Amino acid sequence: MLWKYLWIVVIASLLTNGVLQAAPNVEEGKSLFMANCASCHSRDMKTNLTGPALAGVEERWAAYPRQDLYKWIRASQALIQEGHPRAVELWNQWKPTLMNNFPGLTDEQIESILLYINDVANKASTSTQAGQTAQPVSTAKDDSTLWILIAVGVILALLALALMRVVDNLQNLARVQAGQPPVRRTLAQILTTKGAIAFMVFAATLILGYKTVDNATRMGRQQGYQPEQPIAFSHALHAGANKIDCQYCHDSARKSKHASIPGANTCMNCHTVVKKGSKTGTAEITKIFASIGYDPITNKYIPDYDKWTEKQIAELYKKWIAQEYMADHNLKALDETGRETVETQWEGIVKALKDDSNGKIQGPIEWVRVHNLPDHAYFSHAQHVAVGQVACQQCHGPIEQMEEVYQYSTLGMGWCINCHRQTEVKFADNDYYQQYARYHEELKSGKRQKVTVEDIGGLECQKCHY
Amino acid sequence: MQHQNNGIWVSAEDLNRDDAFLKSAEQEFSIEELADAPTGWRPSRRDFLKWMGFSVGAATVAASCEIPVRKVIPYVTKPDAIVPGVANYYASSFVNGSDYCAILVKTREGRPIKIEGNSLSSVTSGGTSARAQALVLSLYDTRRLKHPGTIEDGQVKKLSWKALDEKIKGQLQLGGNVRILTNTIISPTAKKVLDEFVAKYPNTRVVSYDPVSHAALLTANQVCFGVRGIPTYKFAEADVIVSFGADFLGTWVSPIEHARDYTSRRRIHSLDKPSMSRHYQVESHMSLTGSNADMRIQIRPSEMGAAICALYNEVARATGAPTLDGPTLNEKAQAALKKAATDLLALRGRSLVVCGTNNVMEHIIVNKINDLLGNINHTIDFSVLNNLHQGDERDLVRLIHEMNAGQVAMVIVWGANPAYELPNADEFKQAFSKVNTRVSFSTVMDETTTLCNYVAPTHHILESWGDAEPKTGHYSLIQPTIAPLFDTRQAELSLLEWADSPNLNRQAEQPYYEYLKAHWTTEMKAKQSKYATGMAFWDMSLHDGVFEVPPAPRTVEFNPNVRLNPAAVTQPGSGKVEIVFYETVNIGNGQYAHNPWLQEMPDPVTRTVWGNYLSIPVEWDGKNKMTGWMGLEDGDKVEVEINGRKQVCTVVRTFGQAPGTVAIALGGGREKGGCGVGYGVNVNPWLPIDGGFIQYFAKEVKISGKVGVEKNFACVQHHHTMGLAARDAEGKRINADEEVLAYQGALTDRSIIFQAHVNDLPNLRKKMADFHQHASHLNEQTLYPDRTDYFSIGPKWGMFIDLNACIGCGACQVACVSENNVPVVGKNEVARHHEMTWLRIDRYYYGDLENPRIVYQPLMCQHCDNAPCENVCPVNATNHSSEGINQMAYNRCIGTRYCANNCPYKVRRFNWLDYTTADTFPANEERLFRVEEGDIPFYADNLVRMVLNPDVTVRSRGVIEKCSFCIQRIQEGKLTAKREGRPLEDSDVRSACQTACPTGAIVFGNLNNPNSQVSQAIKRHEELAYQVLEEINTRPGVRYSAKIYNA
Repeated sequence: MLWKYLWIVVIASLLTNGVLQAAPNVEEGKSLFMANCASCHSRDMKTNLTGPALAGVEERWAAYPRQDLYKWIRASQALIQEGHPRAVELWNQWKPTLMNNFPGLTDEQIESILLYINDVANKASTSTQAGQTAQPVSTAKDDSTLWILIAVGVILALLALALMRVVDNLQNLARVQAGQPPVRRTLAQILTTKGAIAFMVFAATLILGYKTVDNATRMGRQQGYQPEQPIAFSHALHAGANKIDCQYCHDSARKSKHASIPGANTCMNCHTVVKKGSKTGTAEITKIFASIGYDPITNKYIPDYDKWTEKQIAELYKKWIAQEYMADHNLKALDETGRETVETQWEGIVKALKDDSNGKIQGPIEWVRVHNLPDHAYFSHAQHVAVGQVACQQCHGPIEQMEEVYQYSTLGMGWCINCHRQTEVKFADNDYYQQYARYHEELKSGKRQKVTVEDIGGLECQKCHY
Repeated sequence: MQHQNNGIWVSAEDLNRDDAFLKSAEQEFSIEELADAPTGWRPSRRDFLKWMGFSVGAATVAASCEIPVRKVIPYVTKPDAIVPGVANYYASSFVNGSDYCAILVKTREGRPIKIEGNSLSSVTSGGTSARAQALVLSLYDTRRLKHPGTIEDGQVKKLSWKALDEKIKGQLQLGGNVRILTNTIISPTAKKVLDEFVAKYPNTRVVSYDPVSHAALLTANQVCFGVRGIPTYKFAEADVIVSFGADFLGTWVSPIEHARDYTSRRRIHSLDKPSMSRHYQVESHMSLTGSNADMRIQIRPSEMGAAICALYNEVARATGAPTLDGPTLNEKAQAALKKAATDLLALRGRSLVVCGTNNVMEHIIVNKINDLLGNINHTIDFSVLNNLHQGDERDLVRLIHEMNAGQVAMVIVWGANPAYELPNADEFKQAFSKVNTRVSFSTVMDETTTLCNYVAPTHHILESWGDAEPKTGHYSLIQPTIAPLFDTRQAELSLLEWADSPNLNRQAEQPYYEYLKAHWTTEMKAKQSKYATGMAFWDMSLHDGVFEVPPAPRTVEFNPNVRLNPAAVTQPGSGKVEIVFYETVNIGNGQYAHNPWLQEMPDPVTRTVWGNYLSIPVEWDGKNKMTGWMGLEDGDKVEVEINGRKQVCTVVRTFGQAPGTVAIALGGGREKGGCGVGYGVNVNPWLPIDGGFIQYFAKEVKISGKVGVEKNFACVQHHHTMGLAARDAEGKRINADEEVLAYQGALTDRSIIFQAHVNDLPNLRKKMADFHQHASHLNEQTLYPDRTDYFSIGPKWGMFIDLNACIGCGACQVACVSENNVPVVGKNEVARHHEMTWLRIDRYYYGDLENPRIVYQPLMCQHCDNAPCENVCPVNATNHSSEGINQMAYNRCIGTRYCANNCPYKVRRFNWLDYTTADTFPANEERLFRVEEGDIPFYADNLVRMVLNPDVTVRSRGVIEKCSFCIQRIQEGKLTAKREGRPLEDSDVRSACQTACPTGAIVFGNLNNPNSQVSQAIKRHEELAYQVLEEINTRPGVRYSAKIYNA
């Protein structure tokens, strides 16, 4: 009977799991949103960014069939061409900004995204302060598995109790036959037998142990960490739209273990010309000028900038911001908004650049580190970028779509190991690997299909830990 | 006594089979109670539960904490030369008084972290010394003076440079006599600076002396050859070497150069036709050089003159020169010298006699011996003079006289520390106090600076510009590798400033750099024709670090009018006991006492650390007992009295110490300036002065019996003793070969060292071939799987160490400490066997029991392919890589120490304490090493931590560590080759110990490449190459060569 039950439970759980996998859910929606939508649509769903805020999107499309919304998301321009009233309304409001096409999204996936949007929108202002703390992405799997397990547990417990009763009854029968009075144990007595207690302790140890180990390995990981940076630097714009090569700025990635953050002088290679952002205007790029000491009005670096007082700096850059504001709005003098803009932007500069260490505007821009490896793990960018020719995106994710960088991968050891197991070494075209003569022979004779990083010792401790 | 196996032993205890020693050899670590351990308190069960509760709570709280925000700060304008994460190397020079080494400074993100040798220099050829390796730590000395000022009550009261300059210039303009007191200055530009200063203030005189004097040698050469200089001694061309107390491999004249040349004639280049030089050393204490000699001739120090006369007479008789009526010498030495003379006479013009005493007549006679042997202008070359010793302590007598007479208005002390270094320091101090203005350029508050009234701290050499001419025509540049850490100013610049030099560009960012460059682009440029412009010449010289002008040949002749006077040599003393004062390779005469790396490097011969110890002879009863002189044991304290001055010294028994003599090193007992304060005794006041020259021995010394025992006697000789101790069922020690040994104890018949006479090579080869066969027979009976196949893919790392080229100087040991962030643990911890060095240099005696030779064996993790440590690790924290490396994953280690226990080579080290202060619980820091009591722990200081190599994990408490074969260098080298898409070359991967070695004794590389240096070296040595404990089937990755001597 027990086996029967078990089979039923197992099959049932498999079925429910399968169904649940296909059904739209918030978690899937989140990852889809992050991968596809978040580069243009605000993550808080409440502010307009490159694209509109998405909170209440379903209500806005409620007047039309659900399929229209799917179509809009998959291919917005097509819908506009068709003259769909809501689509045209949006186009008029947002042109010339184009929305990317996402033909690959299934209806369920779109539902997932919408679920996630509603989920976020409904959690009124509970979002954490971005930037100051880690925001590990919730890694809890969907609750259904847990419930199934609980159900199985309950069933098994009942079963166990039933068996206990049966055993009791049989024993009592034996006692009666032997002429002794029957003894009926209460539930409490059964549960406090040595066997039962031992089992419970065992089970508790197992569960707690598993949980402890599981949580311990996850400690310190910060997948999804997306701190607020001093400058709203957009990789989506630089690496995505403008297609600047990653190694133009992160030039040491091919030479050193560090990819390193470029110095302000690297920024200035372009920003002596591009002095205003397409979206942010003077607000962000002026921060670079203030860091390195560049006068955007006269187009000259400021000699002895280090000795300037904050007042002098403020005067210069406020003048620059005001000048550009007036030019943009065809004004001869600053209006009220203009004055506000100047003040806000200057405050932004101070907040971004004035650090605790020297209390000065001048000096390096202190970015917040997104990818933090522990000290005992040695990772070399040069090995992976120059030798392994691994694309940056493989570990860092769709950087070219990120407005603000977040940690895409877990950076856990298991993640490294997995890749080392699967990745093929660029064996043929690098003379260094000549010394692996036997592998070359085996490849030639067809005995071996490929040489992975693991095959040349890529899983050994002291390849990374020393 | 016949029971030594392979004829080697480690100490008297070993020969005596001392029970306590055997017991300690069995144990991995000392279990003796700490002398200063807190007593009366033991943690109870309740404490344990309390702590456990706290830990669980703390872990829970810690786990729920959010990860701190970490910043990443780029450059504003990134310098082109710097790529974060990639090291830059700058050619520079290590110059400190009489020490010179051409170096490359490795910097990471603008921070010097390691010293390498500069192979372009023909003086040092890429070799280094322990002192040069430790240079980088002294840059981050927390005791460095941080700004100029006046000195009041031993404290610096801050003054701006401008104010200081005004005050000093004000004093100078009064026109009184000025004396600049220095050690030898070998910088041509600094000499120019001094000239300018003297020109401006003509009442100035520069007075130089050396911390360890060579004045008699200079004087003798002046007398004999008309050249006041030290010639080049060509050890590479000498077939017979006789040294009268000259420690030319360790400290005498130019040790790095000598070591390279000397060992080139000690290696076995051909097994069939071996030829090597023969080396006689006449001395009283076992010096580093003496320990490498084929034949040590033991004399009392006062017999040195007699010994020199004896050798002279032998040579004179054979060459027809008049003999001398010298003092009498003991018969044993007389006979030995006769043999030496025979060898010398057989190889005229290809031999070398050197002398390390400070007696002019002795040097004159030695010069005459070399003259009679035809060595002058051959193995002794005057065309290239060595400039490292130019000082003369007799000048000080005049200075003291002048100061006492009130004739000196100002003394500027530059680099010297007379208040400590001089035998007559008291006299000096008294005279010094009569000088009105006393200025010091010192970098720390040393004994002399405390007595000054102004201090103008100079840069550390790694922050300085400069040049050097260590030998005639061999120029070397010094360039800064870091911006000055403190508000210091280069001494040369201070002098130019005070001299109102018109040649100084005060507007320049680095005025002395401009001054130096001006000198090089004009005067120095004129010495060559390769580069047409001064700038091109300067750039190239700065890049190379060295610039060498071929010397003009110069021959000298021995002045025939020189009279040899046997009465002027040292006359034998009548005292019962005589004492020798010697310089060690690490501490010098105290100049390096404040460097913890050097303090913790064991003296190669006595193997003691942190202080100087009185070496006493070991006496043999002729049968089977070796006892310390007067029954003294290691660590006993005795009271030593010389000339009425008494000090308490700690005793260490030393084989080879001549009977009736004791010895003690210079450099102990520093009173001011850093971490060396309070270790050892200051012996300088004991040094006699004879004819103006400081003598490094005393004829009469009174030694009391034992007056106590040193609490934390720190000698590493009996730590980590190799060998296997096994017991039978009854607990009795057993040995496989009972006939040979009564026990299987510390030193067994195991294959640790092989040694033989050079003429006995065929026998040795046979013996070793048999041994290899026997070992491989034993090793065939194995349970280990055969993994030859596994290791045949890709590189397989291995090392070869030529024991004939290893002189035991310890440069590799300090290099390893520097490269691998090995912590300094301090004397107390060393006494508890807790030293952390990954590479130790074992000292084994062999030969005559009363006058043995030494073989040094650098021993690090052997990276066994069948590693006993790997099997026993319960968490697999140590395991093997396919490249043959025994890996250690610190973060996996839980500290069971099974591996250390199971390691037959005893090379694993356990972090007993939180040496590098990784955690912040103060309770864990109580016993950590500190510069001074009351300080924060040594490594807790952020300044000190700047020396750490960022590519090597800093280990925390409770984990095992050991030699990694410099895995960070292997990984870096492989990456370089891969990035360049070419096969791996030897030059890509060189271990830190290998690059530091002045003699090239250590070769590291890829064993799977038959053409690599290491494969070739092993092949060349054929049967003479062996693995330590080969027979126990550990299959080490390190091979050694047998030690060959030529007595």
